[in-house]
Amino acid sequence: MRPALANRLTPYMFLAPAAVIMAIALLYPLGYMIWGSFRDWSPSQTIGEAEFVGFKNYITLWNDPNFRESLGVTLKFAFFVVTFEMIIGVGLALLLDRDLRGMSLLRTLFILPMMIAPVVVGLMWRYMYHPTVGTYNRLLDWLGLPTVDWLGQHALMSIIIADIWQWTPFIFILSLAALQSLPRSALEAARIDGATGWQQIIHIKLPLMMPVLIVTALLRLIDAFKVLEVILVMTEGGPGLSTEILALRISRTATEFRELGVAAAMSNYLLILLLGLTVAMFAFNRLQEIRAARVRAAVEEDE
Amino acid sequence: MFNILKSTALGLGAAALLTTTAMADGHGGPYAPYADTTLIVNFPAHPHYDAVMRILPEFTKETGIEVEVDQLPYLKMRERQTLELAQDEGEYDLIAYVVFSKADYVYADQLENLAKYFMNPKLADPSYDADDLIDGYVYNIGFAGGGKGYLEGKTGSLFGIPYGSETSILGYRKDIFEKHGLEVPETYEQMLDLACKIPELEPGMGGVASRAASGHHASHAFLLHLAPLGGRVFDDEWNPIVNNAAGVKAANALKKIVDCGPEGATNFGFGEALGSFLNGDTAMFLDTTVVAGQINDPDKSKVVGKVDWALHPMGTRRGSQTGGFGIGIPANAENKEAAFLLMQWLTSKTGDKMVALAGGNPSRFSTHADADVNAKFPHMATFGEALKHADPDWRPIIPVWGKINADLGTTLSKVLTEGLDIQEALDGVAERTKAVMTEAGYYTWN
Repeated sequence: MRPALANRLTPYMFLAPAAVIMAIALLYPLGYMIWGSFRDWSPSQTIGEAEFVGFKNYITLWNDPNFRESLGVTLKFAFFVVTFEMIIGVGLALLLDRDLRGMSLLRTLFILPMMIAPVVVGLMWRYMYHPTVGTYNRLLDWLGLPTVDWLGQHALMSIIIADIWQWTPFIFILSLAALQSLPRSALEAARIDGATGWQQIIHIKLPLMMPVLIVTALLRLIDAFKVLEVILVMTEGGPGLSTEILALRISRTATEFRELGVAAAMSNYLLILLLGLTVAMFAFNRLQEIRAARVRAAVEEDE
Repeated sequence: MFNILKSTALGLGAAALLTTTAMADGHGGPYAPYADTTLIVNFPAHPHYDAVMRILPEFTKETGIEVEVDQLPYLKMRERQTLELAQDEGEYDLIAYVVFSKADYVYADQLENLAKYFMNPKLADPSYDADDLIDGYVYNIGFAGGGKGYLEGKTGSLFGIPYGSETSILGYRKDIFEKHGLEVPETYEQMLDLACKIPELEPGMGGVASRAASGHHASHAFLLHLAPLGGRVFDDEWNPIVNNAAGVKAANALKKIVDCGPEGATNFGFGEALGSFLNGDTAMFLDTTVVAGQINDPDKSKVVGKVDWALHPMGTRRGSQTGGFGIGIPANAENKEAAFLLMQWLTSKTGDKMVALAGGNPSRFSTHADADVNAKFPHMATFGEALKHADPDWRPIIPVWGKINADLGTTLSKVLTEGLDIQEALDGVAERTKAVMTEAGYYTWN
């Protein structure tokens, strides 16, 4: 082999193991799912025995009011949990970004909910929401207030609260890390110029944290679309379909309805949705960077 | 000295060897050819199968066949079995399956037809007495290919044997009924009447504990009322008739029971419904017979000694549910004949009585009437009576049922929680069911 060619091939040879692993571990299952979504496939059959039905599964789903309701629930759930978690998480980080005594202990305490297994979280909240012996209704009762039918009339709100409790710490630790890595010089300059606490937050801290916050929000959003165990344990998707998020519907379609093809098609819809969101977020991020670069260039020119 | 020790040791070894051979011989008869086999079986984690675990050592002692049990939560079991049964050579020699897996397994040719085993004189025990097995259970759980494809009929045959089957029964609080001079309800009208009277008589107490949570639970509770009230999900041509007058009546019954039930009843799964009865929050409990063991267990129950049992109330007819498990031999099993011997042993008269005494649910009429069993579990006679009315067609067992069941359950949950009109709700279910059935080819011959 000529040395020039060998030189050119070397990087690819180093990449090859990673590429092979990627193909086996990522692309093959993904391709399998996409292939399966075009078939009328029952769990008792192998994929080869299943009948090819083209886009039928996708079309059926699109016209299925239950699927659309489930999609609506998922979007609502993801929107509310991510919004509240971002506000509370970043707020907490801003509050706790200082040298208090016992700070490290406090931080550990704050991230505890995230470390608990989702099934346990589901069970815990299910018992706390219990209509008669649950913590909340007993408290309300003791205060002389009317009790609330948490998992009945207000099921979606209740699971949103549980998710906020569990996942706010995730936003909190990432925001705190972002805050602590901010350039101290910019904050000092602002302080010397007489910026108030609020002004520092709005004009310095938040804009500088933005790239981290966007990635954090994106990660949470992707996760919120896929949450399953907590809701499965708390409500099993009920009452009606009011808390049946897509991940739960996919799992029921595969196991209860025994329609693997439809479940695969549903997963693909979810995948497309998440892919769209990710691309949009990164495009937005890129746009911001370009704009910042332009501003910097303009400032440099002025000088 | 050393020599003496050596010869003694040798002698002991020889004696041990002789004993082992003698024991193996002792397993003679029909079991001899399989004496060294190890069977791998898949059972659910369920009170009945916990009792089975206690009697299995007896089987090994008697036959020399070892049994290794893979016990799984029953909802997980089906997933595992679906994977195992699709292999060329499966791991399991015998499986317990939930009743509505029957349709899928038989349709996919994954369960052995039992005819060839019962025809084989070397395997079939002449004293088995199959007629003693409870009819409703046999047709519901073991039979396929008869009427409607899943019921008794001339074209059907046997693929499994009921084991750990259940029916529905009404549990009631003796103390509360006596205190207020109430009669034990015999008909639906009386029961519904009482259901709403109890909260007035005993403030804070619900009438009947029932499942109602979205999905399978609500659907199950509704079907429990549908059969006795004269309804069916399909007519004989597979047209959905769940929205006829009987269907509406059954949904009304469910709504009334939930409305007059304990607090939070709209969200009850089986566990919560049973929990509320065990906790003393309701005066009645209408569900499966499998709970009987827990009622008088002071660790789990606050109503020890206060509960008695009555038949599932009658509507226009008697029709209690049939459910639970059956056992069958996978088509890809390795040791089919030995698996059959285990199956036959477990469901024989002796085996059935043994498991009943260990706390399981018997599958034979004779066990329900047995003096020893009744002495230990006095409710067994009532349960036996209930079984005579067990309705194998209270719920259709067809491959697309999972989907229809889920739709029925979520729609009924909307009736219970969001005030959706009952007729409208059931019309919707019937319409969607029709579409599912059309797609599945049920109207090809119409």
